[in-house]
Amino acid sequence: MNDTQKMLEDSVTRLFSDLITREALTRIEETTWDVPLWQAITDLGLPQVLISEAREGMGGSWVDAFLVARACGRHAVPAPVPEQMLAGFLCDQASLLLPAGIAGVLPAPVPVAALKGDNASFSAARVPWGRHADFFVGLTEAGHLVMLSNTGVTVREEANLAREPRDHLTFEATPLIGHAAGGLPADSVRWLGALLRSAQISGAAAACLELSVKYTSERVQFGRALSQFQAIQHHLAEIAGEMASVDTMAMVACRAFDARGINGTDRNARFDIAVAKCRASEAVEPITRLSHQVHGAIGFTYEYDLQFLTRRLWSWRAEFGAQGEWGKYLGGVAMDQGGDQLWPYMTA
Amino acid sequence: MNIDTLRFPHFESPPEVDALRQEVRAFLAEELTTVKPVMRSNTWDGVDPAFSRKLGARGWLGMTLPKTYGGHERSMLERYVVVEETLAAGAPVGYHWIADRQSGPMVVRLGTEAQKHKIVPAIARGEACFAIGMSEPDSGSDLASVKSRAEKVPEGWRLNGTKLWTTGAHRANYMIALFRTDSSPDAKHRGLSQFLIDMNEVSGITPRPIRDLTGRRHFNEVSFVDALLPADALLGKEGDGWKQVTAELAYERSGPERYLSCFVLLTELVKILKGGNANAEILAKLGKEIAWATSLRNMSLSVAGMLSAGQDPSLQASVVKDLGCHFEQRLPGLAQELVELEPTLAGTGVDYQQVLGNLMQLAPSFSLRGGTLEILRGIIARGLGVR
Repeated sequence: MNDTQKMLEDSVTRLFSDLITREALTRIEETTWDVPLWQAITDLGLPQVLISEAREGMGGSWVDAFLVARACGRHAVPAPVPEQMLAGFLCDQASLLLPAGIAGVLPAPVPVAALKGDNASFSAARVPWGRHADFFVGLTEAGHLVMLSNTGVTVREEANLAREPRDHLTFEATPLIGHAAGGLPADSVRWLGALLRSAQISGAAAACLELSVKYTSERVQFGRALSQFQAIQHHLAEIAGEMASVDTMAMVACRAFDARGINGTDRNARFDIAVAKCRASEAVEPITRLSHQVHGAIGFTYEYDLQFLTRRLWSWRAEFGAQGEWGKYLGGVAMDQGGDQLWPYMTA
Repeated sequence: MNIDTLRFPHFESPPEVDALRQEVRAFLAEELTTVKPVMRSNTWDGVDPAFSRKLGARGWLGMTLPKTYGGHERSMLERYVVVEETLAAGAPVGYHWIADRQSGPMVVRLGTEAQKHKIVPAIARGEACFAIGMSEPDSGSDLASVKSRAEKVPEGWRLNGTKLWTTGAHRANYMIALFRTDSSPDAKHRGLSQFLIDMNEVSGITPRPIRDLTGRRHFNEVSFVDALLPADALLGKEGDGWKQVTAELAYERSGPERYLSCFVLLTELVKILKGGNANAEILAKLGKEIAWATSLRNMSLSVAGMLSAGQDPSLQASVVKDLGCHFEQRLPGLAQELVELEPTLAGTGVDYQQVLGNLMQLAPSFSLRGGTLEILRGIIARGLGVR
């Protein structure tokens, strides 16, 4: 991490530490949107992280985006910061400016048949914060970037376990406000979404560990702090190991994406991203189970912070593919490469 | 607790490292063509002095040690590449393993000039086989309780006692061993000292090989009966044994061997699945282990980078070893679940079955050697600030 990245992480962490209190999380979970929070996020320039300087962005790398997304996970930020960064990246790659306002990112490729002249008609499932979006960004099955307005959109409100909006949208002759060929493969949103969720999982896992260490150091039973019991120490060590594995791979995958992208069939960042999300999703089980275990009943209450993290982890595990999907991809890579080429491929 | 102390920093690997990797890979491909997979699955238990000499001749042993003493003054990352390539290929590295990993650096750091000039060049040539005298019948994980005694006598030191689980002592030229030089009750840690023992020149030392559960003899019980050592056999400072041995264990816990012992099984598993019809469920299970292997590899690389940069990676190294031995121990059971073939002894069944049979039996040792899982978790807990 260089000095600029350290500064970015510090300023993001400061902002979230100030604004994301237990009261704020409880309130925003009901309202699903907080205007002052989003204002502070945009004031800090976070939507611009992955936009090049030529288009008035921050010109950041995916390692920068990783640091921001990880901080979002660590503070359970109830706002679509990773999605907004991704929207900026998608537009930038298609040489388009990201409009002002809240971007909704379409998780699945838009069918080519949905586009009719200057409008589009189709439906999109589980769109993060879809109901709040001023416009939508997605890639078509042909890999083109499409930008849609929010008129002619019917919203069926849905949410993930953390009450983060994941809406079902029906677009009916919705005006196309942007359309351009870009340099990204058509399935990029799934891969980059998986990468961002891996970073968020790493952050939330770190927060679970911090809470677990703090709680077990303060809670006294049988005359000593829970953290003095070896059984508890081993639980904490296991959470730490899983967190470290997820964190390392998410960071490695972001670096790999910066260096190699996901275009073409050569050994590129697809392998690293698949490893990162497979590990992140798999790690959710031990991390949430053990964090709750060491907290006892208090961790199972709404008043205590742990649930804001663990409910997110359970949802993020599945979003953009759980460990089964990514494991299958990696197993397929091994079958393609064969036993003797597995190590060279891993280390390439 | 500061979460940043648990992070695994990224280190850019310099271009010469990639060139070296290709060179090592080509060398191993040629050297190991006739070595059967079941032999390869012995990795660092596999012993072949001729192979060790060849590695030495290439300049791939004692790589980080000073040129004055026959080393090569290359970076920790370059050494890491040689080590991980030899392990992933299942090369027989057992003869030089301990010498190259920990004894060489120990002698350079703590030995006398005479010891350094005599022993380090032999290590770099692949001709020195070292043993580690730490555990005893009554001292396993509780290493500070060792009772074997070294008494100061006019000729030097007189050793009495028993060391246990000493890998390779029956073939070793040298042993670095921990003895008690002060038995007073309040001198538990500061009563310990390390000795550099020339196994061929000292009488009164008898290694008795112990058969492990596979039937092979690689570790020993070593008895010391009035074994007389010259005065300069003391390694480092009298009373510094505990401090020195803790530093030595850091070498033992920081390398890629802590997740690569079973890599040959992963290779053979992929081969046999490729030959059959692996369904989606099987691919997903296989893929999850590939994800583990890859994440451990990146963590291990980070530890090597930290060592290169002069940072202390002992917490990160313990995390890698803890996760790594779980991975290694899980793999034989998982393989058995994915491919319905019986594990076999060497010589019967297909390669995959023999590798499975070998590693299934070796797996229990993975979370014992170099510090048990429980000890490592204690170290991690200390890193979290709860011990």
